[in-house]
Amino acid sequence: MEYLYSILILVGIYVVLASSFNLIIGTAGLVSIAHPIFFALGAYTAGLLAIHFGLNPFAAAAVGAVVAGVFSLMISLPSLRVSGDYLLITSIGFQLGLLQVIKNLELTGSQGGLNNIPTPIAGPERGWIFSAVSLAAAAATVLVIRWIVRGPYGRAIRAMRDDELAFLALGRDATRMKIMIFAVGCAFAGMAGAIYAFYFQYVSPEQFEILASGTMLTMVVVGGMGSTWGPVVGAVLLLALPQAITFLRLPLAYMAPLQGMIFTLLVILFLFLRPQGLVAPEAPSPVRARRK
Amino acid sequence: MSFKRRDVLKAAGAGALAAALPIPLLAQGQTLKFGLAMPMTGSQSAYGKDQVAAAQWAVDDINAKGGVQGRKLEMVVLDTQADPQVGINAVNRLISVEKVPAFVTAWSAVVKAVAPIANREKILELSVGASSPEVAQLGDYVYTTFPLADVDVTAVATYAHDKLGKKNAAVLYINNDTGVDAAKVYKAAFEKAGGKVTVYEAYDPKATDYSGMLLKVRAANPDMVHIHGLITDIPQVLAQMRQLGLQQRVSTYSAGYNPNIVKQLGAAAEGLIVTSLAPGVNDRPQVKEYVERWKQKEGRVPNGLPYTQYLYDAPVMVAQMYDWLLKQKMPATGENMRKALLGVKRFELPMTGVTEVDPSHRVQKPVYLLTVQNGSFVPLATVG
Amino acid sequence: MDSRAAMLDPAVLAQILWTGLATSSYMVLFTIAFALVLKVLKLWNFAQAGMMAIAFYVMYAAVNHFNWPTAAAVALGFAATLAATLAYEVLGLRTLRARRSSSLLFFIFTLVCSEFTAYALTLIFGTEPVPLFPEILSPTRIVGSVAVSNWDLLAVCVTLVLGIALALYLRLSRDGQFLLAVSDSAELAELYGIDAKRAYVVALTIASVFACAGMYLYGSRTAVIPTAPLQLMLFAVIATLLGGMGSVVGAILAAVFLSLLQSYSVLIIPSQWQGLILYVFLFVTILFFPNGIHPGALLRRLGLA
Repeated sequence: MEYLYSILILVGIYVVLASSFNLIIGTAGLVSIAHPIFFALGAYTAGLLAIHFGLNPFAAAAVGAVVAGVFSLMISLPSLRVSGDYLLITSIGFQLGLLQVIKNLELTGSQGGLNNIPTPIAGPERGWIFSAVSLAAAAATVLVIRWIVRGPYGRAIRAMRDDELAFLALGRDATRMKIMIFAVGCAFAGMAGAIYAFYFQYVSPEQFEILASGTMLTMVVVGGMGSTWGPVVGAVLLLALPQAITFLRLPLAYMAPLQGMIFTLLVILFLFLRPQGLVAPEAPSPVRARRK
Repeated sequence: MSFKRRDVLKAAGAGALAAALPIPLLAQGQTLKFGLAMPMTGSQSAYGKDQVAAAQWAVDDINAKGGVQGRKLEMVVLDTQADPQVGINAVNRLISVEKVPAFVTAWSAVVKAVAPIANREKILELSVGASSPEVAQLGDYVYTTFPLADVDVTAVATYAHDKLGKKNAAVLYINNDTGVDAAKVYKAAFEKAGGKVTVYEAYDPKATDYSGMLLKVRAANPDMVHIHGLITDIPQVLAQMRQLGLQQRVSTYSAGYNPNIVKQLGAAAEGLIVTSLAPGVNDRPQVKEYVERWKQKEGRVPNGLPYTQYLYDAPVMVAQMYDWLLKQKMPATGENMRKALLGVKRFELPMTGVTEVDPSHRVQKPVYLLTVQNGSFVPLATVG
Repeated sequence: MDSRAAMLDPAVLAQILWTGLATSSYMVLFTIAFALVLKVLKLWNFAQAGMMAIAFYVMYAAVNHFNWPTAAAVALGFAATLAATLAYEVLGLRTLRARRSSSLLFFIFTLVCSEFTAYALTLIFGTEPVPLFPEILSPTRIVGSVAVSNWDLLAVCVTLVLGIALALYLRLSRDGQFLLAVSDSAELAELYGIDAKRAYVVALTIASVFACAGMYLYGSRTAVIPTAPLQLMLFAVIATLLGGMGSVVGAILAAVFLSLLQSYSVLIIPSQWQGLILYVFLFVTILFFPNGIHPGALLRRLGLA
């Protein structure tokens, strides 16, 4: 059962990650790839608070989310003032640089990772309680983001994404809005990180490298960038598929690279044949709208 | 290696059966199961696959001789890619789908990542190959059958001072968990023996130019250099060292016991001291047979020979633990497996000799020092 | 003897300078490839890691499996890299360009191409680190008080020759001038009858040459695994970023500067922090000079335009 629970928990965590990432890149059209580092910030913050101060897990998760949101300002404040596309490159630099710091600090367990994170609950109920928390967090994230996107705020975001000039003419402060959206999305990633840390009780820096960005991007792109349910579908599919493949009991030696090839090919095919993803967005696709 | 695929498939069938039938594991006729979670793919797979092959031979050998009190030993193999997340999934599978009471795994990141699961689910985790000293502190259900880094690094440091008469040493280490911990151990041991560490420098895992660090060595002019890195960078550090005209004798640890180093460095590898934590072909007749078997079956020597010796011995240990359980008429749970491990305590093993499990979660084994002479590794000394 | 004082000896400083320059050679080559593609195609070409990986493994297979002579192996490596790169341009980039895709889609596509290549090569060659030639040690002589290896000489010569050749080509040949025109403005160049597509192909061909030469130098000194080129490429990305995005000369200077900085830093800061220097520079640039050092028109058209 624990095996199933752990998959369910991962599904919940990745739905949070993919949905919040989609809010940033799909809905708001902010070109960042650094989502894994905010996931890491939440995980490390919550883990460290639990280890050193025995903080309540919900409080630790909240702090983790806030820390991720605050750190997001370090990229968004300088780069969004310059140009939207500049964010892409600064986000890569930010992600790799911060990871390098984590790998060198004794506090974060250096390269070996942070272990001995205490579990808030033990016993046979642990699995389903965590599954419930994780899935509830996923549902809450999807609903909150849907609410943001559907509301007046969301209309403003889309207007801004699709035509920044007209938006500016209306007198809205586009930069401030982008910075807010970016911080909110990153805070969700931080919360997902906290759930991860408390369930798996171990976090290592190599989980948050640029390949992790690729995985999250894949979930959003395959699922459908800019739509509410697309990232959910993408996350579930991309987590379930590799697990299902392992049950086929193929020769192990070829499984991982084959799996990798299948996934990357899938992404390439989607990019060319179905750029809108499995679930097309309700609003006009950001894929075409971004180009002036 | 098609034999492996077939065995995995067989294991799969039996596993499904065991999961479907609510029979206690030690009921008559039931196989005695344990898990093996190793990197079969990914950057470490060259080692992982050979280690799995060795473990599989051990299981086959045990079963060919009648198994454990007439019962067959069964090993379920899953891939970890040496990646913590994949390892966690694999171990969860072993515990909740395959219902194993004990599993064998390796690679520090994986050993650490799955330790909370072992402790929580009360399933015995045997670490066979992770050498970080932290492994001893991972909890009640995590034991190592492999000596931790302090054992061989201490031996090579003490030997350099006491037997080779070296007084000043330089320690060059890779800046990751392998290097940082081991460098501390080397420094402490060399200084305890009465020597001085005059250069203590880390290098970045991504670095390719080591000249700054090596020039510090040249300036300090120690009489011994210890390099603690990975198989990708050790040859390069050594090559650049010789190119800069540094002629000091160099020691490293078990990662250096690899024929590729001699191939890549040629004459520059002469005199290099490496360690092995397992007896060599001349130390034990069983090892000689074992290496012959590799040459016959695969036409080569396994990657990381000493590690595969430990992996061959791991199922033998599990078999002896099951034997103890059957004699005590105890059901095969993780808790009882742990009792069996501590109950047997002293294991006689074919490939690595006696292993004594002590309550501090460490094992002591003799360290075999080798050196490169005329292009091949020859025994230098046995410590402990 | 005080070892700290001994480190400031001119002979030591000269040695670090020479080895650092030699080591920066392949970094410079990778950076030129990356910066040139950025300049002409307006594309952050993360697929370059894939190109580099193909170049290395084809050369490796030719040398070690088919026992080809070095020159033939390099030629085959280049041919394979070029073929893959052109397929990538014609089948991939052109479609995305025609659809006016967002820079995010370009990013995903280029990165995924590199990942796909790494997985495919893992399937074929495994993940055991392999050097291009069986032996990595290169004969060394002492010049003055500086140790100079054959590899150092080869690396510096190859980089200088290729760099000068590129500069001459850009200045003197028609294609080279078209390249510069397209990099200024593809639309404007097309108005003057310059084929932008052709310029893109030429730029990618040049990038293939540099990627291949860089991997030859790197692989003849260090063992390579399929994911190693990704790490190497990131250095080129950072150098390009610091060098003022789109200025090839700026990127080259940044690459040399960063390499030497890493080599010399061992004298001043604890060595375990050396890997961080690169990122410290990157952070400072991001935070305080978000315009880069060359705040040109290029910045606004980053990635594409």
